[in-house]
Amino acid sequence: MNITAMQRRKFALIAVIVVLGALLAYVALRSGPLAPIAVTTAKVESQPLRPALFGVGTIDAERTYQVGPTVAGRVKSLTVNVGDQVVAGQIIGQMDPVDLDDRLAAQVSAMQGAEASVREASARQAHAASEASRYESLLAARATSEEVLAVKRQDLVAARAAAANARSNLERMRADYSGLQSQRGNLRLIAPASGIVTLREVEPGAAVAGGQTVIEIIDPASVWVNVRIDQVSSAGLRAGLPARVELRSGDGKVLQGRVLRIEPRADPVTEETLVKVVFDTLPVPLPPLGEYAEVTLDLAPIGKGPVVPNAAIRRMGDSIGVWKLDGGDPVFVPVELGKADLSGRVQVLKGLDDGDTIIVYSEQELTGNSNISVVDRIPGVTP
Amino acid sequence: MISLAGRDILHSWGKFVFTGVGLGLLIGVTLVMAGVYRGMVDDGKALLDNSGADLWVVQQDTLGPYAESSSINDDLYHTVRAMPGVVEVANVTYLTMQVRKGDNDVRAMVVGIIPGAAWGSPGWPTYLVAGRQITRGHYEAVADIASGFRLGDEITIRRNRYQVVGLTRRMVSSSGDPMVFIPLKDAQEAQFLKDNDAIWQSRRRTAANPAFNRPGQPDLLDAVNASQTNSTSVNAILVRIAPGSDPETVAQSIRRWKRLTVHTRAEMEEILIGKLIATSARQIGMFLAILSIVSAAIVAFIIYSLTMDKIREIAVLKLIGTRNRTIAGMILQQAVALGVIGFAVGKITATFAAPYFPKYVLLLPMDAVIGFVAVMIICALASLIAIRMALKVDPAEAIGG
Amino acid sequence: MANGISIAGLRKRYGEGDTAVDALKHVDMEVAPGEVVGLIGPSGSGKSTLLKCLGAVIDPTAGRMTLGGEVIYDDGWKVSDLRALRRDKIGFVFQAPYLIPFLDVVDNVALLPMLAGLSNTEARARAMELLTALDVHHRAAAMPSQLSGGEQQRVAIARGLINRPPVILADEPTAPLDSERAMAVMRILNEMAKKYQTAIIIVTHDEKIIPTFKRIYHIRDGITSEEAGEGRPIS
Repeated sequence: MNITAMQRRKFALIAVIVVLGALLAYVALRSGPLAPIAVTTAKVESQPLRPALFGVGTIDAERTYQVGPTVAGRVKSLTVNVGDQVVAGQIIGQMDPVDLDDRLAAQVSAMQGAEASVREASARQAHAASEASRYESLLAARATSEEVLAVKRQDLVAARAAAANARSNLERMRADYSGLQSQRGNLRLIAPASGIVTLREVEPGAAVAGGQTVIEIIDPASVWVNVRIDQVSSAGLRAGLPARVELRSGDGKVLQGRVLRIEPRADPVTEETLVKVVFDTLPVPLPPLGEYAEVTLDLAPIGKGPVVPNAAIRRMGDSIGVWKLDGGDPVFVPVELGKADLSGRVQVLKGLDDGDTIIVYSEQELTGNSNISVVDRIPGVTP
Repeated sequence: MISLAGRDILHSWGKFVFTGVGLGLLIGVTLVMAGVYRGMVDDGKALLDNSGADLWVVQQDTLGPYAESSSINDDLYHTVRAMPGVVEVANVTYLTMQVRKGDNDVRAMVVGIIPGAAWGSPGWPTYLVAGRQITRGHYEAVADIASGFRLGDEITIRRNRYQVVGLTRRMVSSSGDPMVFIPLKDAQEAQFLKDNDAIWQSRRRTAANPAFNRPGQPDLLDAVNASQTNSTSVNAILVRIAPGSDPETVAQSIRRWKRLTVHTRAEMEEILIGKLIATSARQIGMFLAILSIVSAAIVAFIIYSLTMDKIREIAVLKLIGTRNRTIAGMILQQAVALGVIGFAVGKITATFAAPYFPKYVLLLPMDAVIGFVAVMIICALASLIAIRMALKVDPAEAIGG
Repeated sequence: MANGISIAGLRKRYGEGDTAVDALKHVDMEVAPGEVVGLIGPSGSGKSTLLKCLGAVIDPTAGRMTLGGEVIYDDGWKVSDLRALRRDKIGFVFQAPYLIPFLDVVDNVALLPMLAGLSNTEARARAMELLTALDVHHRAAAMPSQLSGGEQQRVAIARGLINRPPVILADEPTAPLDSERAMAVMRILNEMAKKYQTAIIIVTHDEKIIPTFKRIYHIRDGITSEEAGEGRPIS
């Protein structure tokens, strides 16, 4: 039988209606609140865990020396520049002596004067002594009076005193002189230890206060990393832990080190523990002081135990737990968690066993009645 | 009896399908608009749900942290933690800013959360779709997929670079901006510290100020500079209360500290939905109403003109003795068929188009049902008008002259 | 007469008072079952008005109309359902076919019996019968737009005849046709009239067919007058 145009049209119309109806049903069931929630799952496995601590630090040097004058003055000259190597005792700069040299010269003259006074007093003393003994022999020969001898003895005492005075004056002058000399010595800036110059704070000609830093020297062997670790995440921190240091400028290169000590004083404001980490081998070239570094401290590995990815940990009301697949339906299981490592794996102490299938990622918040469908990857997430 | 409506549809199926599809698109647009409205409200609710908090502690007399800027000391959380009924507290910062990846930047809400083993703590993303939660105290980020970031991407926020280690879905701000979660300290630095240029400028200004740059006290300048680069503020403290406690009671006891304002979940919802998105929502709501009225008018007009096209045939039918009921039925059936096709096309296009919109479009089954009922009512009412016209036709007109 | 058409003293007035117009002043008419009469008059003479009154499409002002043995109007409609009257008792053939464009030929014709309650199969069977008699059965599945003018007219006639009404009112049925087709239509109408004892009034001024009438009614200014026609046999 021929299919008339009318019948063909009827079939076409019915086909269109069927397609439309199917699309409508699809839309109603697969999208919106009626649609199943896509989830991914994983099996709980027993694995060893290598927890680690993470902190950010800055490069610093333990032995840092700030060199400067002890009294105010003007910088006359500096003989080193930033980056120069210096040895202990090296003269690295000079302060301006101003009038100090003149005062030294004046002091020398004063000393010479004092020496002359001493000589003069000594001569007088000798003369008084010889006079006193002459008049003693004269008295013995009854050629003079007792009075005159008493006067001459008195003169001798006086002359001895004057000589002593002159000698102590000379001592004082000498002391003053050596004082000025040491001051003159102080005007030389001397490197207290070997190292590298890191700062040249002022230039020759500048006036500086006493105690102000003119040159800073560090001992490159004492370079360490000043690390700050959140107190909350610092359980297990102790000296000797191996450390991996990644410098900001290091372009991913990891340097090995270890924890030297944990500072007895933490930072109460930022709630961080301060840790000093030293390098196993000094990096060459030396990283600039103050550069940032990311430091990972490896804690002792923990033995095998059930481990879950931290993305699976959810909160339901008051408890922390994981959604477990029980016969295809999601069931919330509260868990007790142990330590975690930095790649997101957490130890489960109670609540799950090996082989349990748990929900890791989900498209939406899950409830006990959620209609789920297990997929390999949540739609919308590009790998 | 044959179906006159069906035969007419079959005969001019092109016109019918064309009209049905056009009507469908119009209905689809209306459904999408309703979805946009619902999506806006849902964005607001999502923000509150995802924070996992029962109470928000913010700066005194502010509506913060979402509706108004709020800044409180980051060590206040100790005292809040000690209040009765409080089970868990978490400092949190929120800042909507541009996040750079390569050459592009994305507007995102950067959330500072406390890092470490604080599983399920308020402020943390409640579920992930890829990757993992933040484990390190610095330079890691979890981003919402609405930002376009992928696992392993390196993004730049202010002066630091972060690696995206996890992805979330539906973690958005009340205006639909994707959230990016970073460790609290980094977020504090991003919010309260300026960028490098600004820091240089402020150092120069401080150095030029003789009060801070005394010749005899070289360390004073360093101390002042250091204090200026300190960041010890957060935007809010999120509080979780013991199950069974009354949020208002706990909030009241915290409010007695006088320098802090506390909002309960109900108040935050009122603020977010009542204040923050109210104007936009009303805007969309009005547009939705207008669109619905226009759609109704167009549907009515279409059905009317479809009937008018057949007025001669209707006169002939009346003349040869067709019952009024039959003619009315033909018109009504066509109107209903048009309505059903239109609704189906509309719902399907709305569902497929919704994901392409830049902000969240929430299509609820209830809305579809209401839409269907509305379309049917409009079609029926429109057909009534057309039927009236048809029945008024004088069959005598078929007999000429 | 038992069947057929009987009109006595029919009057139709439009308007009231001074502006009243009598389209029909006094119409008397008798058509026997099986008879085909012509109704001739100039335009404005009231012939369309008469058809409309007979067709129960407008209300006359006064008079008496008997259709198929039933008094349908006697200074007021005596039949409650005029539409059923039209459907069951009167067949219409218009100047233009006025076929329903979205129904195929057989359904165009079968529609009326279906409306009257017949099953689809029965109605279609009856329609095919008539279409065969009118020699358009080979176009039964086509849509009206696919038919020629003459074929459409024949389908229209079939539709007019399908309910076997006692009365057929035809308004200028041959006007658009050529003489051959016009004669064919007249032949069919005469055959149908004889076969089903239908009374047929044909309003026309087509010179080609007027000679075939045995009786003719003239109508002028709303008044009819009878005349014997030529009664030429239809070739």
